[in-house]
Order: sequence, then structure tokens, then C-alpha cells
Amino acid sequence: MKTLILLGISTLGTIAPVWAQSDQYKQAMSQAIGALQTQTMQTSATDLQALANQFERIASVETKEWLPRYYAGLMYVYLGFTGKDEAAKDKYLDQADANLKAAEALSLNNDELVVLKAYIAQSRMVVDPMNRWQQYGPLAQAGIEKAKSLNAANPRPYVLEGTSLMYTPEQFGGGPTTACPVLKQAAEKFATFKPANDLSPNWGQKQIEPLLAKCK
Amino acid sequence: MKPVYFLCILFLCSTATAQTRLTGRVLDQKGRALPGANVFLKGTYDGGNTDSTGTFRFTSARNDTATLLVSYIGYEPFSQKITLGSSTPLTIRLQEATNELNTVVITAGSFEASDEKRMTMLKPMDIVTTAGANADITAAMNLLPGTQRVGEQTGLFVRGGSGEEAKVVIDGMIVQNPYFSSMPDVQSRGRFQPFMFKGTSFSTGGYSAQYGQALSSVLLLNTTDKSQNEGLGLSINLANTGLSYDHTSNKSSISATAYYGNLKPLFTLVRQNIDWTQVPEFAGTSLTYRLQPSKTGMLKCYGMYSASQLGMNFIDPSNDAGKTAFKQRNNNFFTTSTYTDSWADGRWLLYSGLSYSYDTDATTFDAYDFGRSSERLQGRAVLTRLLPNNNTFLFGTEASRVTLRNTVMGTRYALHDNYAALFVESQTYLGRNLAIQLGIRGEYASVINRFNLAPRLSMAYKTGLYSQVSLAYGQFYQTPDYRYLYLNRSLTYERADHLILNYQIIKNKRTFRIETFYKNYAELVREFTGQPFDANPYRFPIGQTDNSGNGYAQGFDMFWRDQKTIKGLDYWITYSYVDSKRLFQQFTVSATPTFISNHNISLIGKRYFEKISTNLGLTYTISSGRPYYNPNNETFLADRTPMVNNLSFSASHITRINKNLVVLYASVDNILNTHNVYTYRYTPDNKTRYAVGPQSYRSFFVGGVIMLSRKANVNVNEL
Repeated sequence: MKTLILLGISTLGTIAPVWAQSDQYKQAMSQAIGALQTQTMQTSATDLQALANQFERIASVETKEWLPRYYAGLMYVYLGFTGKDEAAKDKYLDQADANLKAAEALSLNNDELVVLKAYIAQSRMVVDPMNRWQQYGPLAQAGIEKAKSLNAANPRPYVLEGTSLMYTPEQFGGGPTTACPVLKQAAEKFATFKPANDLSPNWGQKQIEPLLAKCK
Repeated sequence: MKPVYFLCILFLCSTATAQTRLTGRVLDQKGRALPGANVFLKGTYDGGNTDSTGTFRFTSARNDTATLLVSYIGYEPFSQKITLGSSTPLTIRLQEATNELNTVVITAGSFEASDEKRMTMLKPMDIVTTAGANADITAAMNLLPGTQRVGEQTGLFVRGGSGEEAKVVIDGMIVQNPYFSSMPDVQSRGRFQPFMFKGTSFSTGGYSAQYGQALSSVLLLNTTDKSQNEGLGLSINLANTGLSYDHTSNKSSISATAYYGNLKPLFTLVRQNIDWTQVPEFAGTSLTYRLQPSKTGMLKCYGMYSASQLGMNFIDPSNDAGKTAFKQRNNNFFTTSTYTDSWADGRWLLYSGLSYSYDTDATTFDAYDFGRSSERLQGRAVLTRLLPNNNTFLFGTEASRVTLRNTVMGTRYALHDNYAALFVESQTYLGRNLAIQLGIRGEYASVINRFNLAPRLSMAYKTGLYSQVSLAYGQFYQTPDYRYLYLNRSLTYERADHLILNYQIIKNKRTFRIETFYKNYAELVREFTGQPFDANPYRFPIGQTDNSGNGYAQGFDMFWRDQKTIKGLDYWITYSYVDSKRLFQQFTVSATPTFISNHNISLIGKRYFEKISTNLGLTYTISSGRPYYNPNNETFLADRTPMVNNLSFSASHITRINKNLVVLYASVDNILNTHNVYTYRYTPDNKTRYAVGPQSYRSFFVGGVIMLSRKANVNVNEL
């Protein structure tokens, strides 16, 4: 009897805080994701850093959730574009990698994490395209292909591929002719894509709108 | 039920009590504010960011003790136990984390081009895309500081060293025949495609205990881990046609090449200074296989085979006809496999390799047989332990068995050498500003039955955010040239001691580096023939030999690179000064050897024009005159050849034909058509001299590559 009670207590003891925390988690995440959705190209590095910090704080409590790490990583990719020199950009991307690694340890074969990995590789390349093309180009492409195979409905690998092609000169196999079909595929997938829940990744649609405009 | 009850109370209590306020500032070690730092209580959602003055303020429901965590990008994470409820603002000072900018790197004597390290002066692509280098690694190295250009000889001549004193090492393995077989008075190209390599480290001296058997320099080449293309490629130029195939799958990749070359088209278009009796013709093939058997392991196998033949009449004043017929057929086979792995989160690294090469030259001078062959089998294993704070400790071993055979006018010579080496090396950081690398290498060579023990030391001190000074000292041993050993096995190792001091500053895409050196040569092989000096470079040493030679080389070199001042333009300038004298070979007095030019300058510029997708490059080199032997001058080697200079241009353009990627390239060497003279040779009566110059004066080259795969990609910088 005693053992049973003890068992009951311990389950109660563990379940209760988790439930309580879960609400707190959802609330904190919704609030941060809400702030993330108001981001534009003009958002300052300070605000991006504040958001990245917020996700990292959530991640430090919710050690079983991959999403806070995912979003923190994503914020550092955005920050990577704001850095003023190569070293600063790489520092942000190192931090994106650290968050990605932590997220990967929590969730296996996750298409969104593979997308993030490809995004980081793309950003690394953008830092110094002339010299990094060889190393990071294939890495990004491999990630895009893998994400597609893991989840054919996910539009984000197409977002990354189409965007990258749009900015690749035509001589190198880029430009609107090759980018537009991919971007259109992304748009089609957005039309039917349903994120698993309110906190799940759902970015990219706004990002490709200006590019799609060039396709007509 | 007590614990649950207690828990509920606590929960209720904490929500009911007033919030605790936390305030403070986050600063660096110099007291400067760090804005955007993340400050929070461990295990809670309570936290905030610092503002532009480094100030943070947030509230917490906790009122007991908690752990305060602070993180800031580029700084060591901070953690401190605090008691909540006190109203005194906290001051937190963060320590900058180790990074490539704030940590010193040992650089003396090494000139590195790497994609993996960020703080290097060159990228691998910079080396191979240089005009005048013709995508030949050695030619490109000859544009770096510390080298002397010796137009009529093959090899790398580093800081007063001869071509034999520099070794080429691929993935840790010494390459027995890195260059195509040498021909009289013609510089041979390297055998390896520059695009095989992801990183190059060119040592101008003072190199690591991991390597040996090179008195002057090692050129370390590391092959790529992945194939860079996908599908079939076809290349055609004035000298050869080639096919390449690459395929990458999940865990492995394969690259294959095959080529056939014939210099006839080039020689009909570009006037040759050489009397070719058989135009060079060559064919070859290579295969690379890479496998990643586990997350950390990597296996690479590379094999190549090539065959070539050629014939010429070269200027030979000692021959009554004034020239000698030379014929050569070469077969070369080289294979190397390496396996690398790591354990314990990368704290232990293994590097191991095995390589075999076979090379044979069927060579005749007039009708005389001067055939030669070499065979080399070698293995290598290195274990590295990474310790905290960037410190490392490594130990390793290498062994080789070399067989050499020479025929000299019908007489056959042969030797076998079993060579083994052991080495240990440690790298210690005393803070971030001072690093010391200590190493020792022990070697044994069976052919001379001798041991040696060579200590090496390098250190570096960071003098500013972007600048540092380095120092290197080392002893280097090399088994004497095999031609001496055929007749005399009682010789010992030749030795060189290096002392190098280096200063460099890398800031804002501009690099300046200056390095000064002193090299002491000892136990050099001398030959006593009892005859007057014989300047014939192809003579076989048959005199008495001993190790009584010595010498020195001293000087400095400078490097300046600027990718910033003029947008889109990347240029660099190198200047090398060397002063050297030796008593060696047949020298009876100490003199400056013929391969020394005191001043070497190179100016390199390149620019990519995006709109026309064309890359243009220009290279100008100047080498001051070199000593040559004038039998009419009483002072030995006192005469100097005229200065050698060369202006060359290269262009490459990328386009698409039928959706296939096409790269077209063209280059002009020696635009000014300068009639450079490399050296002079005298007739036996000392009355007439012949000038030895380049294979051709102004010359040009055109070619193209087409990738027959839609997935093919090309790096703009590779052009």
C-alpha cells in the first residue's frame, strides 16, 4: 500500500508541474512567435537578439522541447545576415549551429531541422560566396533534398531552393527561369500546408512573395 | 500526502508573494557595456536582455536563492548563485571566449591557404587562379614569399634551398615523384590537379616535427573530402583532351578522370626554342573513392597512372655537335589511402595512411642508357589528443621503403632504404596571447645506418587585436642525394638549422607579413673529382665524397595583400631577399649557388567582372640575375645572368550552351616577349657560351570545359 501511495505521489509530483509548465511554455512560445511574426527586413539586430535570447531562455527550461532551440537557431540565421563583417556573421551562425545541434538531439529525422541546417549552410555561403561556394553549396542542397524526402508537403525546402536560385546568376544555372518553377511549387505547398500546431514552424510565405512577383 | 500538499502550498505561496526585482549591468573585462546579453535565472522563465548601456532589469517570482546565468555571443557563459530579494544592482563581467581573432596562431615559416580556417592569407582558389601559374601548384607556390624562381629546373627553391630540399606531401605522405620527369633545361609541371586539394600549407622553414627529410621546405597538400561536381565533364585545350566523372551518394563519392595529351597543336602555333625530335605525348587516368563508414570516420583512396614520351636535342656545349639527343618514356603509378577518425567527442583524433608509388623512366642521352626507376612504400599513423584551452598533444610514426635504380652509360646502380621516424609534438597556450609548440623527431635510415634526433620549437605572441609575432627554430635532416649514396654509404645526414622571426597583421581584408630568417647548413655532401669544376648539370657524381660541406642562407620576405581598397580588385605583392653561400658539391670555395637569385618580386592582380561573367588576371614577376659558371673568370661563380621578368595575363569566361555549363579560358605568357636568359654554358675550349632560356618566349594557351550534366556547378573563383 505504502509503495502504491508513494508511486501515486511521485507521478502526481511529476505530472503536476509539467502541466503547469506546459501552459507557461505555450504562452511564452506563442508570445515569442507572435513577436517573431511581426519581424520585417527592417527589424534591428537588437530586437532579433532579444527574441533569440527569449527562445534560448525558454529552451533552457524546456529541455525536452526542440521548438525553442529551433526558433533560437532561426533567429541567429537572421542575425547572421545583419552582422557587419565576416567574423561577426560567423559568430551568429556558430550560435545557430549550437542551437541546431541541441534541437537535433531532441528530435530525429525532423524535416524542419533539416531545413534549418540547409538554411545555416546557405547563410554561411552568403558570408563569402566566392570562397565558400564549394564547401557550403552542396551542403545546403543536400539538406534541401533530404527535407523534401522527409516531408513532401513542407514548402520551406522549396522556399530555400527557389530563393537561392533566384539570386544565382543565370550562367551558373540560376535566375528566374529555374527559380520560378521552384517558387511556384513552394506557393502551391503553402496553399495546403497545415502546421502540426500553433507553435510549429510556418514561415516562408511572405519571404517569397516579392520573388514570385518577378516571375510573372 | 505530505509532499504534494507541501508542493501545492509552495506553488500558491510563490504566486501570492510579491515579485522580486533584479537589476544590474553586464560588462566586458575592460568595463565596456555589452548590449543584448541574455540574463536569466536557471530553470525559470524569468529573465531579460541588457539594453544599450548593458543594463538589465527583470522580475522573478522566486524569493530564495537561484542561479543567475548570463550569456553573450562570443563570451564565456557566466553563472553565479545569488540570493534574491536584495536590492543591490549586480555587476557581471564576462570573459571573451576563445576565437580565431583573439587567439594567437603559430605562423612562423608557414604560408597557409585553407577554406576551413578563417584567418589565412590565401584561399586554395587564390593559388590556382593566378595568371602565370597555369593551374600548376608549384608554379603558384613560386609566386609566394620565400621562393626563388629557377626557370630551367624543376622543384621548389625555398630560401636558398635547392629543389631537392623541398618535399611535396599529400595527406601526410611524401610523394616520391611529384613532378613530371625532368627534361634538360625544361621546368616540369606538378603531376597533381590543383582542384584535388582543399587546403595547402607551404612551409618556408621551421616546420613541424610531424615531417622530415626536407632541409628547406615541405608543401603540404590535403585532398578534398567530397567530389565537387556531379556528372560527366569534357575538357579540350591546345595540349590535351580529358574526361571527368563525379558521383556522390549518401555516404560515398567517386571521381574519375582520363586524359590524352599531345603538344603538337600548341607547338605549331607557338614557336619553340627547343629542338623537339618527338613532341611530348602523354596519357593518364585517376580514380578517387571516398567513404564515410561512420559519423566520424573517413576513408579516402586515390590512385593514378600516367605514361608519357618525348624526345629533344638539347644544347650541350660539351658535345662536338653542340647538342645531345635526349629521349624519355615515363610510366608513373601512385596510390594513397588514408583513414581518419575521432573518438570521445573529437578529443582523440586518428590519422593513418598507406601509400605506394612506382615510377620508371626509360631515358637515353645520345645512344647511352640513363634509365632510372623508383619505388616507394610508406605508412603513417598519428594520434592527436585535444586538451582543454586549445592545447594539443600528438604522437605518431612513419616508415617507408624506397628502392632506387639508375643506369649510367650501361652501369647499373641500385639502393634500398628502409626509413622510420617517430615524433611527438605539443601545443600549449599560456593564455590567449602566447602559444608554444614543442616537438621532437627521431629518424633512422638504413641506407646510411644512422639515427638523428631533431628538435623543433615555435612560438607566437599576440601583439594586438589583429597582429602577432612568431618565432621558429628547428633542426632538419635529410638523407644525402641518392646519386652520392650509390658509391658511398658512409655518408651521414645533411643538416639545416632554421631560425625564423615573423610579424603579421591581418585587418579588414588587408594583410601584411614580414619574415626574416637565418639558415645554417652543415654536413653538406662535397665531391672531390681532382678535375676542374664541371658545370654540366646532368653529370653523374663519381668522385670521392664526404660530409665536410657547409653554408648559410639569410634574408627576409614580405607579403602584402589588399582586397579592400579598390572594390572588386584583389591584388598582392611579394618580395623576397636572400643572401646565401655554400661549400658543397664540387665547390672548392664557398660561393653563391647557381639556383640563388637575391631578389624576387611578384605582383598579382585579379578581378571578376560579374556582368560579363569573366575573370581577368595579371601577374608580373621579376627575379634578379643568378650566378653562372664562367671558366674564364678566376673568381668562382662571380658572374651573374641578366634579370628575368615576365608579364602574363589570363582570362576565363563562363557561359551556357544548350543548358550545359561551359568555361572558356585563355592566357598569354610573357606578353612583352622578353628574351629571358636563365643561365649560360661554355664550350670545352671556354671560347663560346650558349644561353639557356625558356622553352618558348611569348606564348598563349586556350581551352574550355563543358559539363554534360544539368546539376553541374562551377565556382566563379575556380576560373
